[in-house]
Amino acid sequence: MSHGYIWAVIIGMAFANYALRFLPIAVVSRLQLPRPVMRWLSYIPVSVMAALVVGEVLRPSGQWLAPCENPYLMAAIPTAAVYYKWRDFLGTTLAGVIFFLVFRALLS
Amino acid sequence: MGMAFGILARADGFTAAQAIVCSATALAGAGQFIALALMTAGADLASVLAATAVVNLRYVLFGATLSPHLAATPLARQAVLAYTLTDETFAVNIDDLRRGTGDDLTMLGVGLVSWIGWVAGTVAGVLASSVLGDPSRFGAEYAMVAMFTALLVAQAEDRRHVIVGIMAAMVAIVCAVVLPGTWYIIVAAIVAATVGAVVFR
Repeated sequence: MSHGYIWAVIIGMAFANYALRFLPIAVVSRLQLPRPVMRWLSYIPVSVMAALVVGEVLRPSGQWLAPCENPYLMAAIPTAAVYYKWRDFLGTTLAGVIFFLVFRALLS
Repeated sequence: MGMAFGILARADGFTAAQAIVCSATALAGAGQFIALALMTAGADLASVLAATAVVNLRYVLFGATLSPHLAATPLARQAVLAYTLTDETFAVNIDDLRRGTGDDLTMLGVGLVSWIGWVAGTVAGVLASSVLGDPSRFGAEYAMVAMFTALLVAQAEDRRHVIVGIMAAMVAIVCAVVLPGTWYIIVAAIVAATVGAVVFR
């Protein structure tokens, strides 16, 4: 990755994020968002995460992997179960890495 | 979490300064990790920014929820509070405001503490990464995937959100085959959220 590319992402993200945070507070306090828009916004995070996880798990580093030889996919299942049970982000992340190391070792 | 970002950003080719500036200015939690994941996947600038903007659309929802409480706050102070609006500060502040124990000053305090924690965590991660060596030995490339998996489960709060998530996953697979780079994330998210908003009233 080039430095110019990384700085461009950092600067672009800073501006885009701030606009998304500030405009609703500054503008919406004068004008109520319609209900369907609020509902649409409430579905965005789950959709983004689902799409992202599917991409990262089925096509890690840009290559499609068959499910039966894919440690990324296999590790995701117990990882999801760990978060579901304990609701802890940091613990789930660590558990996920361990599951991944185990499956990677088993499949190699 | 800030620490995890510091470690992974260094592993993915950020300089120490870039990792810290990124945390200090974006303050975006999942958005920053998504940017990292897409950048290492070789995505172009526009698709990285579009994807982080889509995932950060939730701030619009937070802002709209907070705005009735901030109607009397001067614009300059709103501008500062907006800078510190994150998942954590939103959760704490909206709780305080609804109990009647929150005001502009407590919100500024919450924002400051959270910003310091996030940036200090990133600094700690950057420092730790120089000790750790090759992060792939420890399966570090999976940390982000595990975190996204946890976030996905966290977001699937009721049956409707589960169905919308499954829909997004299916659209994403099809789009990943057809579309270049990482545009499939944006398309799948917008399609699934739109169908969800239309179908579930």
